[in-house]
Amino acid sequence: MAFWEMVFYLVSMVAYALAGGGFIYSFVFKNPRVVSKLTALVAFGFLAQTIAIVARFNATGHLPWSGHYEYTLMGGWFIIAGTLFVGWQNKQLQGLAAGTVPLVLIMLGYGYMQNPGLTPMAASLKTVWLYIHVYFAWLSFGAYSLAMAAGVLFLLKQKSEAQEVPNPAYDRFPSLGRLDELIFRYVVFGFITDTIMISAGAIWAKDLWGSYWAWDPVETWSLISWLTYGITIHLRVTFGWREKRLAWLAVAALSTVIICFFGVNLVVNTSLHVFQVR
Amino acid sequence: MFNNLRKYLSSLRFTILLISLLALIFAIGLWVPQKRLLKAIYLEWQRNSPTLVAFLDALGLTTIYTSPITITLWLLFFLNLSLVLWQRWPIVKNRITISDAKIADPVTAGGYPFRRSYPLPGDLDGDRVVGLLRKNRYTVLGDAAGFYGVKNRLAPIAFMLFHLSFFLVLLGGLISVYTEFVGYVDLAQGESFQGELNRYNASPQPKLPKIGSPPSVSFSVKSIVPRVVQNTPTGISVLLVDDRGTTHEVDINRPYSTGHSSFVFNHLGVAPLLVLKDATGKEIQGSYVKLDVLKMKPDRFALGPFTYTATFYPDFVMDEGKRATRSMEFNNPMFFIAVERDGKKVAEGLVPKGGVLEFAGYRLELLDMPFWARFYVVKQRGLSILYAGFAIATLGVIWRLLFYRREILGAVREQDGVRCLVVAGRSEYYKSLAEDEFAKLFGDISGKA
Repeated sequence: MAFWEMVFYLVSMVAYALAGGGFIYSFVFKNPRVVSKLTALVAFGFLAQTIAIVARFNATGHLPWSGHYEYTLMGGWFIIAGTLFVGWQNKQLQGLAAGTVPLVLIMLGYGYMQNPGLTPMAASLKTVWLYIHVYFAWLSFGAYSLAMAAGVLFLLKQKSEAQEVPNPAYDRFPSLGRLDELIFRYVVFGFITDTIMISAGAIWAKDLWGSYWAWDPVETWSLISWLTYGITIHLRVTFGWREKRLAWLAVAALSTVIICFFGVNLVVNTSLHVFQVR
Repeated sequence: MFNNLRKYLSSLRFTILLISLLALIFAIGLWVPQKRLLKAIYLEWQRNSPTLVAFLDALGLTTIYTSPITITLWLLFFLNLSLVLWQRWPIVKNRITISDAKIADPVTAGGYPFRRSYPLPGDLDGDRVVGLLRKNRYTVLGDAAGFYGVKNRLAPIAFMLFHLSFFLVLLGGLISVYTEFVGYVDLAQGESFQGELNRYNASPQPKLPKIGSPPSVSFSVKSIVPRVVQNTPTGISVLLVDDRGTTHEVDINRPYSTGHSSFVFNHLGVAPLLVLKDATGKEIQGSYVKLDVLKMKPDRFALGPFTYTATFYPDFVMDEGKRATRSMEFNNPMFFIAVERDGKKVAEGLVPKGGVLEFAGYRLELLDMPFWARFYVVKQRGLSILYAGFAIATLGVIWRLLFYRREILGAVREQDGVRCLVVAGRSEYYKSLAEDEFAKLFGDISGKA
């Protein structure tokens, strides 16, 4: 890691850790007033993370697109960017950070334990397809993460509203109806970008490995994940799965994406998608 | 009975069941080593657990992606898809057809969750309201007395396109499978290749196409130059010259493509020019020897009456009396060669480029140290159909889910003595989003935004 990258990486982790803890506090102790301050803290962490990315770019000469560490650095950036963007568009959605910030914090911690060394861009990654494939992969992961966060928020808010005295911390957030639709919208956005990601990956694989589809473990999991979200959309549109069922589905379906990105390489060492420079 | 079966086969419930089963099968394929994809692991596993592997073989779980059960599921999936498309086409046609019959009373028409009434300013007549809606990309039928408007009217066609793209992917995939030739060929710098089948590596055996012929090519390898920076392979430049004298550069991510064939760089090795001479200086044997030694793994070869084990150090250094490499960069390439005769070690020593190893009255001269490259050779047709399928799937899903359909009913009429625009609206998928949009649209039109 470059020196300033390390400094700002740690600053961003501290900011996200404080913000994550603050969000939990605001829900448990029914204090909704701190949410906007916590969002500002997340924005500060995001700024620090952006500087860390710039410092790394300055040291390596390429954007952090490869290796577990770089994937978590850039992927976490996309998720937080999405969270801040929707929170900026609609203040009621700032609470989504309660779901996404802890996820990104875990990702950054995991990435730090992997391979943060400064390395040149591996030959296999020197193609325009990397940017298309990985960019859309992170957009879809970001959108699915937001769908999960909206799902968690929906379930918590619904539980709170079923109580005699609802927790006022949830008053700031959108109504259950709107949250329900938001889950679906994030899933749709993720599904579209996922489709582009898989198509671009297949075309890239043809030039890199000679085969557009080789049942590689990561390829296969990405297909499983795409099918899972495809089913989710069908269940919503045709079978009218809404609210609680959709929220649980959004939370559970994210596991397929997490397995695809991080789980496969932990248990299988035969994937061509070695998320490490080699 | 038949109708019930057809109904079930064309149901979404069946689609979801099939997709879930396929997803399950794909997941099983990740855990059970596949005979074709992970041959070495599969064979080792078979040695360790022959009974279990035989049982899984019998169930087809070790060739799961092409097993009868998977093929059956795919057939059922495409049957289901065909039936769904067949059934949905009249519905889609009906939905995209626009006629005056769709004009209804915005107050009483069913299925429109958004209903509002906006007082209109005196200078805004009904025709201008309709005109403003058209300006907002609504197709409008009727007039101020009663109108029907629709935005993204053709969106349901995207449903058909998205699902039809699966058939293109299937067709492209099938054509590519049946016309596919796959093989590996190792070529050193200076070698020529005319597509001879016997020049392909014996293991893994080349896969011959069921339809069509193996690649017809002719080229020679002019040079192979790998690039390694900070222990990271950052590229390789393989120059090929075809029979017309045209030079082609192959790199990682840039195969040599000719016709429907691609030569994809797959692996790199060192091919030293070794000459064995006797005590009088007479050459006994000499050749370029392709050695797979770049991962610090020794490789063996034979020359004259001896066998040799060669270990390669790209950036050789003696570290505390031990042979080592400083990096994977080719800064100080060096071979360590052990010589054997009849299973007994005769000599061993370090040999740089231009160096000599002398033993038992013989001289082994290392005259040159070029590289060899392994190419993954693949020839297949149908890729353009497959890519068209990907493109249509992407376009279809974007069109269907982002450019969704909104419908409105409206009329300009008097309410409590005030001229009002009475409207009703509905949309696919996103109720809240569309209601916000309707409120803004009609607010803007009536000047109440």
